[in-house]
Amino acid sequence: MKQTLFSATLDNGITVLGEELSELESVAVAFHAPAGGIHDPQDRCGLATLAGELCLRGAGDRDSRQVVEALEGAGVQWSHAVSTTHTSFSGAMVARQLPEVLPVYADILRRPRLAEDQFESARQMVLQNLAAIEDDPGHRTMSALRRIHYPSPWGMPTEGISADVERTSVADVRGFVGRHLQPGGMIIAVAGRIDWGDFLGHVERLLGDWQGTPAPAAALGPRGPAMRHVPHEAQQTHIALGWSVPPYRDDASYDVTAALSILGGGPSSRLFTEVRERRGLCYSVSAGYQTHRDFAMAVCYSGTTAERAQETLDVMLAEIDRLPGSISADELERVRARARSGLVMQQESSAARAGAIARQWYHVGAVRTLAAELDRYERLDVAAVESALAALPPRDLSVVSLGREPLEVSRGLPA
Amino acid sequence: MAFLHERLDNGLEVIAETTASAVSTSVGFFVSTGARDERDDLWGVSHFLEHMVFKGTVDLSADDINRRFDAMGASANAFTGEEDTVYYAAVLPRQQHEAVELLARMMRPALREEDFTTEKLVIQEEIRMYDDQPPFGADDRCRAAFFGRHPLARSVLGTTESIQALPVEAMRDYHRRRYGPGTVVLAASGAVDFPALVESARRLCGEWEPVPAHDRRVADAPRTPADGGLERIVRPSATLAYAVRMAAGPTETDPDRYAAKLLSVVLGDSSGSRLYWALVDGGDAEQASLGHQDFLDAGLFVTQLSCDAADADDLLARILDIYAQARDGGIDTREFTQARNKLAGRVVLGGERPRRRLFDVGLEWSHSRTYRSVADTLGIVESLSLDDVQRVLSTWAPDGPAATVLAGPDAAADAAS
Repeated sequence: MKQTLFSATLDNGITVLGEELSELESVAVAFHAPAGGIHDPQDRCGLATLAGELCLRGAGDRDSRQVVEALEGAGVQWSHAVSTTHTSFSGAMVARQLPEVLPVYADILRRPRLAEDQFESARQMVLQNLAAIEDDPGHRTMSALRRIHYPSPWGMPTEGISADVERTSVADVRGFVGRHLQPGGMIIAVAGRIDWGDFLGHVERLLGDWQGTPAPAAALGPRGPAMRHVPHEAQQTHIALGWSVPPYRDDASYDVTAALSILGGGPSSRLFTEVRERRGLCYSVSAGYQTHRDFAMAVCYSGTTAERAQETLDVMLAEIDRLPGSISADELERVRARARSGLVMQQESSAARAGAIARQWYHVGAVRTLAAELDRYERLDVAAVESALAALPPRDLSVVSLGREPLEVSRGLPA
Repeated sequence: MAFLHERLDNGLEVIAETTASAVSTSVGFFVSTGARDERDDLWGVSHFLEHMVFKGTVDLSADDINRRFDAMGASANAFTGEEDTVYYAAVLPRQQHEAVELLARMMRPALREEDFTTEKLVIQEEIRMYDDQPPFGADDRCRAAFFGRHPLARSVLGTTESIQALPVEAMRDYHRRRYGPGTVVLAASGAVDFPALVESARRLCGEWEPVPAHDRRVADAPRTPADGGLERIVRPSATLAYAVRMAAGPTETDPDRYAAKLLSVVLGDSSGSRLYWALVDGGDAEQASLGHQDFLDAGLFVTQLSCDAADADDLLARILDIYAQARDGGIDTREFTQARNKLAGRVVLGGERPRRRLFDVGLEWSHSRTYRSVADTLGIVESLSLDDVQRVLSTWAPDGPAATVLAGPDAAADAAS
């Protein structure tokens, strides 16, 4: 499979990655600064999110409104996201607009005004989002699972905690931006109809003389309790289960994600078949994989009527237990087929490819070619997947229920 | 990029937009049936039937279907709306035949009673799932209030009661009447082998018996509420309040439909619009947006607001002021150009994905037997003028008569406590 990939590292520590997709008319660009939620101080959960929001509200010569108009006037579909590890500003657009909008992004990164008169609006916007999350039971369930399963502060909600956001000041934001929104460790990814030399030239001119190294993250703290019930008055109860598995940069992650795909990845998966198709217990049930650089979690989720939630949890646990020793070659072939078409179809989206190359650089320090990824899936075999499962039983299971009544877990959980 | 079309002897149409450079193929069956085609005693049957289509045929089980899609590496799914039920799969080009074959066989489902009974439980879970989520039923209630006795008043999912009461024989009969070759379009996009697609259609669907056509247009225009009254749904456990407001707009056959979409971007896009700057940017509302939806014989301007319950009435009034100001004072060139560039960007980016194009091309053909390439659509968007937008604004008045429903905690009770 032909792929045209580029990479460069600037003297100030910015990594620039590119993939040319010459059949597309579009280009997607993303700037990932290592300024994510793990850097939020203990009593300022949501600071990174608030900082990212304020960076957009005026930068360089443009005020808040002019920043948005500069992007949208060029037809850019822009977004801003804060994850546990990164603050990201990204945009997808018709390729010819890219040179015009890069200076806007450079201003957001290097010259955010962080103006006092925008601070209260930014804070209110973050608080509104937190209120909306209270009405999203699926989001709350997964958030509670991350919070108990990951060592602190990796499980904290990047979107913030209302009380912390309330006490955050513009000085906190300015301090955060000064410490963390720095070129060292930043990843810039571009994909689509690009001229690499031209793009790199723009980036060097705009960001090449920027200097600074972000402050390191806080040390790992303890994990939460193994089980948590979140009271919620609604018709459905939501269930999430998580346990530790190897991160993406560990080669065994391919075996583990294959097993998770068999457990709950597609309509022919065990969970979908047993929980929804055979028993009609729910509308949504799935298993998936969430990875950080140094640790990762297998996740199972379902939402179902309160009265049937206990049975749903019991069947989910039974399917997790049944997995080791039962993987079939047919199931593994389906995992391969799904991975194959998923990887190939990424090439139809500049945004998907820009995201993929940046993620790989962060996790493994290199861009894996599609050919190498496909080859790794071709090499999956039942024995390797079984031995990965045998080596990694769900010893540290975490369980969250959100609904009217707590559920019983029919086994011992780690203390 | 090329458009190809063939009609089988029994009336089934086969269309494709082919892109030689594409790395995937998307195929789908577009059935012209949805919630608007249901009688009261069939409420929810279109969507329930969509689920049952995945439960198997006389010689394929549900497990067979699921395994086959996964073995192809397909992204396969379906959706049901007011006017359409669509089944689709996106696959690598070499799987085209297998994907079409499986979908075509599924179009003649067994509709077994025991599967029907189990799947009823799943549908009821889906209804409860949506009912537990914002906007807590305000959208369905608003649609019912706006459309009155018009067939578009019906919600797609039905209710737990209507689903519980539905007998399997009624679904079988509905399927016989609504899935005939004259109401089905087989569409494909991306890297398509069109002769092979037509050959698959002939072999797999050529024997489908024609059924009498059914006229979907109704003489009655939707009943637009004259008083603009507000209906409330109380959800004590909700944190925010969610409002949905529906006012009349251009239908899908109206040449002003694109200008209506552009107007919605100017007034109520999720960022950079008048509602955004007035209500969202300062954190007064969590969300405030305006969108345009179109159907065969009706169009809607839909306003959505989420905010603190205590602020909802004031913010709804402010939104109406913003609409009235636009109607009286017009739109300026700068915001018009920004909105047109945003729409054009969306057309280009959306046009790159065969999966997205399948829905655009399939639905357009299914509704009006017309085809528009990405370049055609882009041409329409780029030719829009400020006058077109002003005309829509003065003709349709988004601040005019509307149905409004607000769901959320009881603001009055909260204030009292």
